[in-house]
Amino acid sequence: MAATFRIVFVLALVSGFFPQVLEAAKIGDVTETRVIEQMFRFLSLKDPSVRATVIGTTLLGICCGLLGPFIVVRRLALVGDTLSHAVLPGVAMGFLWNMEKDPLAIFIGASLAGLIGACAVNLIKQTTHLKEDSALGMVLATFFAVGICMMTMIQRLPTGNKSGIDKYLFGQAAAMNQEDLILLSVVTTVVLLLVFLFYKEFLVTSFDAGFARSIGFPVNLIHYLLMLLLAFSVVVSLQAVGVVLVSAMLITPAAAAYLLTDRMHRMLILSVLFGVVAGVGGAFLSFLSNNLPTGPFMVLSATAVFLAAFFFSPRRGLIPRWWRQRSQTQRICRENILKAIYHILEAGEFEEEGVTFSELSIRRNEDLLEVRPQILDLEKADFVTVSKSENRIYFTPDGWQTACSIVRNHRLWELYLTNAVHYAADHVHDDAEKIEHVLEEETVRQLEKQLNYERRDPHGKPIPTFADIEKGLPTARQSRPATGYMSKS
Amino acid sequence: MSELIPSFDFQAVFIVPWQEDFQGYFLIATMGFLISLSCGLIGNFIMLRRMALIGDAISHSVLPGLAVALFLSKSLATTAMFIGALVAGILTTVLIELIHQNSRVKPDAAIGIVFTSLFALGVILINVYAGEVHLDTECVLYGEIAFIPFEPLIDIGGREWFPGSVLRMGGVTLLVILGIVLFYKELLVTSFDPGLSVSLGISTRTTHYLLMGLLSLVIVSAFQSVGAILVIAMLILPGATASMLCSRLPAILWLTAGLCLPATLAGIHLSIWLDCSMAGAMVIASAVFFILAWLFSPRRGLLQQLIQKVRLPEVHNLTLDNSQE
Amino acid sequence: MMDSSKNDSGEECPLEIHDLTVAYHKKPVLWGIDLKIPSGNLIGIIGPNGSGKSTLIKTVMGMVPSSSGWVKIFGKSFRKNACRIGYVPQRESVDWDFPVNVLDVVLMGRYGRLGLLRRPKRDDREVAMQCLDKVKMLPFADRQIANLSGGQQQRVFLARALAQESDLYLMDEPFSGVDAATESAIIELLHELKDQGKTLLVVHHDLPTAKNYFDMLLLLNMRLVAFGPTEEVFNYDLLQKTYGGRLTILSEVADEVRRHAEADS
Repeated sequence: MAATFRIVFVLALVSGFFPQVLEAAKIGDVTETRVIEQMFRFLSLKDPSVRATVIGTTLLGICCGLLGPFIVVRRLALVGDTLSHAVLPGVAMGFLWNMEKDPLAIFIGASLAGLIGACAVNLIKQTTHLKEDSALGMVLATFFAVGICMMTMIQRLPTGNKSGIDKYLFGQAAAMNQEDLILLSVVTTVVLLLVFLFYKEFLVTSFDAGFARSIGFPVNLIHYLLMLLLAFSVVVSLQAVGVVLVSAMLITPAAAAYLLTDRMHRMLILSVLFGVVAGVGGAFLSFLSNNLPTGPFMVLSATAVFLAAFFFSPRRGLIPRWWRQRSQTQRICRENILKAIYHILEAGEFEEEGVTFSELSIRRNEDLLEVRPQILDLEKADFVTVSKSENRIYFTPDGWQTACSIVRNHRLWELYLTNAVHYAADHVHDDAEKIEHVLEEETVRQLEKQLNYERRDPHGKPIPTFADIEKGLPTARQSRPATGYMSKS
Repeated sequence: MSELIPSFDFQAVFIVPWQEDFQGYFLIATMGFLISLSCGLIGNFIMLRRMALIGDAISHSVLPGLAVALFLSKSLATTAMFIGALVAGILTTVLIELIHQNSRVKPDAAIGIVFTSLFALGVILINVYAGEVHLDTECVLYGEIAFIPFEPLIDIGGREWFPGSVLRMGGVTLLVILGIVLFYKELLVTSFDPGLSVSLGISTRTTHYLLMGLLSLVIVSAFQSVGAILVIAMLILPGATASMLCSRLPAILWLTAGLCLPATLAGIHLSIWLDCSMAGAMVIASAVFFILAWLFSPRRGLLQQLIQKVRLPEVHNLTLDNSQE
Repeated sequence: MMDSSKNDSGEECPLEIHDLTVAYHKKPVLWGIDLKIPSGNLIGIIGPNGSGKSTLIKTVMGMVPSSSGWVKIFGKSFRKNACRIGYVPQRESVDWDFPVNVLDVVLMGRYGRLGLLRRPKRDDREVAMQCLDKVKMLPFADRQIANLSGGQQQRVFLARALAQESDLYLMDEPFSGVDAATESAIIELLHELKDQGKTLLVVHHDLPTAKNYFDMLLLLNMRLVAFGPTEEVFNYDLLQKTYGGRLTILSEVADEVRRHAEADS
């Protein structure tokens, strides 16, 4: 049930991003059934090949999702990429072993090739002046070239069952057979077990290798263990994702998780979840589109998850951040208008109860057309009430409180700058204009205390006290617009 | 195994092909030489700036650009492809910057995410429109330089010399050489010390984007012949080999250029012998050159380091004794 | 002579270095260091930039290979006695965006004594919390480490070292980039540790404060210039020797060694 829900969710997510893909599947099919029927076939899980695919991609998501976070936080993302390209000659060698797609032989060959590639990168880095990026790129492309040459040589061989070997480039989840699945589940179990058992070791060596060494952890051994697990998981994922894109299954779900949490264990859980979502989602989409290669679809599903996290992560997402910034700007703008109203009232010795639109526009140095929407916005936020007949603006209790505390913050800060920090009196205003919006109640009280409850600011204006603000607290909203809660009368 | 690796016959591998189809092999060799020359030269600067993996990313992500351009123009029209790929290449660098500046994702992961996504998108597009465009996904990975002789030749000055792709590659190579000759000092200074270049009034940004543009251009033109992944080897290997052997940039550039022809020819003959992918064989040949340089370079080769290690303790004792006097 | 791991009073010597030479890229950075640290002292390592202060500590920790000589910790090799050393690396050495919170980092200090396959227990948490309290960081236990000031990050590292409950502490510039309050809090804590009989080696680069902070000083400039109680060692002649004058010739010689090694090849 939960799985079905998840799949539907992924579909909704991905189809939102790539509508043309779903449509395209329809165009491409001549003999095929409709998309809905295909969807049903997949979701009902009646088809054994579909079941195998779902199991396989779920395992794959778990396996890659568990290792990904360590790769991302250790900044080894591109090592994963190199490793995944470097396995290709091993795949070819494994095939040559007995001239057919024997999962175990291919697994051994590919893992070996991947490890040799990783060692070659290290060796080049240590013994030459070449930098890491060059070493990675070089090993990646060279191993891949060797692999490609071997593949093309195998293709022209007259003997052997070559079917399926070409699927290693871009991946085809449906091509996974029983043995592949067994291998995949064994590797996933091993990865799960080792990450669980050695979580502490993986964590501390990733965070601070020097420290880990100082408490006697075998840092290099743990690094190579991680590389070994990485090679294993890359190799078992090949069949479904393909050589070229398998690194994305390691990096992308983990990076998405990295954006959502600050704790490693949560990152692992999220990354596994995203890995599974991407894996099953990719298989599903590829199934819908008439068995196009699965790898690209999985990668795009993972990217969709990453983009969702990138834009919508509550704390780090682009959109929440933009929204917070916007609401902050809006708050500051409102507070400035409230302050202006206060200033007008203050200038009138608080005898008037409200201010007119024109007074406000003069004070703000803006024309009426600009002021009007701002006032309406304040009214909507319940800071002021507007009497249309008198064309006057009155504070609500909230409005008075806010205006009063802003003015208090402003003047206290000015006083603090001149008295305690010895700014010139004419230098303090601009600084206070910014600070007034961010000071918190606690700080303000400390300021007051430090300034001996001084009542006048450097320009001689009275500083509203906490009592002044409190006095404004009404019992209920009055039928008549609330008045200026005068502090002096 | 014996089926896999044919027996080596000097006559059949080195002489016969040229006798039978001189023009075909001449064209392939020319194309291979031009590709490795332009890639190798520009690759030196890419490596100096530690951007080898950006090159990797661009080479992968030009694919969706190519696919869209092919789909829109319904042909292998050169300009559309150039524009599409150029846009995709520049988009890649912009996206990478965007992700790692606006989140805590580190540059390496950002590169990994961007290029795999774009490449995946490209593969899907090509598969979906498979009937409409002539580009197959495997060719995308390792190219088909062996198809060069089958392209129609283009008429210049009354004689049909070269196919369009070779001419294009030639133009790009000239452009690369010209760019390096004209902007040598700008490229050098901005690669070595961005701070200095600012004080010299050289715009790091402009140089960066010019180089990126040139890189995209080279990758696009080489793409069909060597594919997305092998082109990285073409970028890095010749320069890396040359820098194992000499230390000054001009010398490295000359040596890079000098290495291109032997590597191409060796690759062609390797592929004739083994009957395998020609572009792959060219990369293997370049890699063999690198490995030779790595082992035997008189300046910093492995062998040299080994000899030194044996002799190092003596050096140490000697100098320590001196210092204690 | 034979029993070099014991000092005169018969207790184990926390750190003994014998004829240690370290070279980076064929260029020697530490030359023939001989050193025996008495236990229960707060020792400052001072010297100019590039004098090998950090290298000395890293070599003791086995993070930098030595060209010759050996290091013994409480009479045994580093590997055997790693759990008795607490190490505070430079603040810049880790990625502060790493997804862990303050308590997680301090708990790492307990990992060394946990051994393989064991997870931190309630007791370990308890110790970690106490250590956090000692550096006055308890209210920040749940904070992500990126949201800390430089001084607070340094305190977290210190708390982690405390959680190790070691006998010998090696600290790499714990005072760099911290505010004055943190600096005095740290030095207070270091004195407290010393009073408990621990030995502390602290890399320090500020000469004026060095005199007041440490009871012993180790003057280093590629060679061991002097080692002894602060009042004996902190004088013009020795400082002159460390920071300038005759000894700069060493770096010239070091360059020559490298050139020699390269030309020879």
